[in-house]
Amino acid sequence: MNVAKTPFNGYSVKFSPFYEDRLAVATAQNFGIIGNGRVHVFSLPPTPTGALTEIVSFDTADGVYDLAWSESHDSLLIAAVADGSVKLFDTNLPPPQNPLRSFQEHTREVHGVDYNPTRRDSFVTASWDDTVKLWSLDRPTSIRTFKEHAYCVYSVAWNPRHADVFASASGDCTVRVWDVREPGSTMIIPGHEAEILYCDWNKYDEGLIATSSVDKSVRVWDVRNYRVPVASLNGHGFAVRKVKFSPHHRNLMMSCSYDMTVCMWDFMVEDSLVGRYDHHSEFAIGVDFNVLVEGLVASTGWDQMVFVWQHGTEPRGP
Amino acid sequence: MATESSSPPNPPAAGGTPQNSATETVQPANEVKQDAAPQNPKSVFVNSEPIREDQVQNAVKFLSHPKVRDSPVFHRRNFLEKKGLTKEEIDEAFRRVPDPSPSAQPTVTNQVGQGVTTSTIQPTSVSQTPVPIITVPSSASPSMFALARSRFHWYHAVFAVGLLAASGAGTAIWVKKSMIPRLKSWIRWVVMEEKNGDGGITNIKPTLAEEAAAAAKAAAAAASDVAKASQEMMISRYEEKVNMEKFMDLMQMQVKEIRSMGSAIKHLEGRSDKIERTHLVEHGGHSGSITKLKPTYPNGNKPEIDSHSARSSLPPTSADKSAPPHPNSYMDIMAMVQRGERPPNIRDINDQPPNPNQQISNPRLAPRSKPWEGAYQAKTSSRGGFGSALNGEGGSDFGAQNNEASNQVDAQSTVPWWQKKNSRITETDYVEAKPGSTTVVQTNEQPPIQRTWVPPQPPPVAMPEAAEAIRRPKSKKEAEPVSQETSGEGFSAAEVTDELQRITKISESGGEVEEMHSGGQGTNGALGGLKLSEIEEEPVQSY
Repeated sequence: MNVAKTPFNGYSVKFSPFYEDRLAVATAQNFGIIGNGRVHVFSLPPTPTGALTEIVSFDTADGVYDLAWSESHDSLLIAAVADGSVKLFDTNLPPPQNPLRSFQEHTREVHGVDYNPTRRDSFVTASWDDTVKLWSLDRPTSIRTFKEHAYCVYSVAWNPRHADVFASASGDCTVRVWDVREPGSTMIIPGHEAEILYCDWNKYDEGLIATSSVDKSVRVWDVRNYRVPVASLNGHGFAVRKVKFSPHHRNLMMSCSYDMTVCMWDFMVEDSLVGRYDHHSEFAIGVDFNVLVEGLVASTGWDQMVFVWQHGTEPRGP
Repeated sequence: MATESSSPPNPPAAGGTPQNSATETVQPANEVKQDAAPQNPKSVFVNSEPIREDQVQNAVKFLSHPKVRDSPVFHRRNFLEKKGLTKEEIDEAFRRVPDPSPSAQPTVTNQVGQGVTTSTIQPTSVSQTPVPIITVPSSASPSMFALARSRFHWYHAVFAVGLLAASGAGTAIWVKKSMIPRLKSWIRWVVMEEKNGDGGITNIKPTLAEEAAAAAKAAAAAASDVAKASQEMMISRYEEKVNMEKFMDLMQMQVKEIRSMGSAIKHLEGRSDKIERTHLVEHGGHSGSITKLKPTYPNGNKPEIDSHSARSSLPPTSADKSAPPHPNSYMDIMAMVQRGERPPNIRDINDQPPNPNQQISNPRLAPRSKPWEGAYQAKTSSRGGFGSALNGEGGSDFGAQNNEASNQVDAQSTVPWWQKKNSRITETDYVEAKPGSTTVVQTNEQPPIQRTWVPPQPPPVAMPEAAEAIRRPKSKKEAEPVSQETSGEGFSAAEVTDELQRITKISESGGEVEEMHSGGQGTNGALGGLKLSEIEEEPVQSY
């Protein structure tokens, strides 16, 4: 229902955990192959139709693949940049005073970032250099580096109920569950026969984790019995880029794919697909649920569009 | 669920994490390797399966393969991980495979007696392997057989048999090859000696001379044969050459004839021939460009194989070569990059922090609790709304939903449209709260205090008439005390049940209750604890 067009190709969209009407979009020029990047911060208008209004935007030398809002500071954004740096932006400061920090430790593109929603004091980044790094805003260098994956790590996700547990999804076709108190991974789930592009924890059941893969499927795993998936959701025509669990409903999930659609699933139901939105005209790369407003979702993609709509309604609007 | 009983209960307020961290930080302090039991039930994120012997043996076979030995270690590990082996199983397999003889002694010493915990929960403890040590001296050589008998029983037997067979075969061959010929020649020599007696020696010489003469004759005969053969070859080559020349002459004659015919045709066709050529050139050129793009297309689909300057790998787009169609401009950019060109629209941007020591400003808002934390049971409250959405969306057609959504929009245009989905309680609330924008600032500070004991969201009122019927007798009784309590006091420690009563009454009566409240402040304060997100909207609307 609310739309915005970004000059670069969209990679990730995240709603603010502090403001219901605020979201940030990570974009990269030239589809992220080579070129600059930009982080946009949008505000939802009071009307149901109409454009998102841009509050501020920050330019980067290389494409931005992912971003995360801080859970401790309402104006801080962490950006995962394709040149291997992790940048901290303050949306209250004008662009010339930004970024506040630039952490350059990863040796390859940083593809995922997630902020700890329970401890609120740390975040993890996933990189194509096969490592995951743990950071804190008050430290100039990373706290820890987790190096076990055999290929690019595409995403990381903190467990919403266990403050020290997170999971990582990698191109080596495994998902690893880590505990920051342990030196190595505590569980290895060989989830798919192809690369796993994203993972996300269920907000209401601490042991359920969803994975999306190049094999066009989304699978839900229970770490208590991880040999067999709880559900395997098929329906996308091409690789599934992201999958997210709803913050308001235990069984609701949404996913976006290279088949240009955004799908909603209920994994406890036999015919799991409960909705499909095909408003994008290019690869749909980013989706997010609004944690503060139930049913509000957003998506972005390589067609340079950002859509925000209420699940159950038509994104394009009347 | 079983896991919930095993993990510590999550108190509503703090979400259980302080408890978790407190108890679990105590554990490492007291950690004894064998005493893994207290820690096990706490963490569901750890493997609790024992090591599977069959998997380990499969892994050992895999790792012993000569080709596998050449690959890097992490590839081998990754392969086993993909097959579903746990870390402990992989470590055990690695331990068993390389250099079994020299490292047999160290491995023997490393192995601890049968683990107390069947669940190998200590991923860090390398030494915990549930294998008893019984050294069994075997008949054939090496100390490999000195390892645990219970596990290598069959292995041991197979190896022994194989070794015996090999050694037997070896000796047989050796005997056959070296011993027997020697024996034979010795026997012959003895026999000859007996036969010839003294003249044996003189007889040897003439035989040598005869042998030499025979050899010379044979050589001469061979040489003559060779000479004859080469002569024949020469003759045949000459003949072939002659034939070839004749053939060439014939061909040339034919070519001349064809050429003459072709020129005749050209003369006849005249102008049309030129057009054909230009078409050919164009098509040739076009196909040239197509062939240039084609190599990039599959590369675009599997960009991780590319090695171009910009991205040496991109997230893969398909597993089995049936790739999604990439946008044309994507192809152009990939082609440019592969040629080594830089797309022109890239700017040089300095994105380094202008002030690396810039202070991070203090947060303006307190962190907000998540819907899945605490007592805010979002799933129960909005099941009605979600259910309707589900029912309406059975397929992929959302045309029907448009009307529903637009109706909702028209009804409450003053309220932010993205609040519509929430329960009706807040909608009615909003209408009255809107005029009181001055109360915004005050309400903002209240939620952080109220958050600690947010009362649970009442279930949605699916059938207002029924709910009203149930509650009607009570509502009259409670009317006065409720109004007295809330008038002008803001949010005090009201009873949860009273709040529930009021909420249901507000929803059923559709705003009738507003008479009871002294003003916007009371309303906002009273309901602030229940719907924090909506209250928070006030500051948004003010700008």
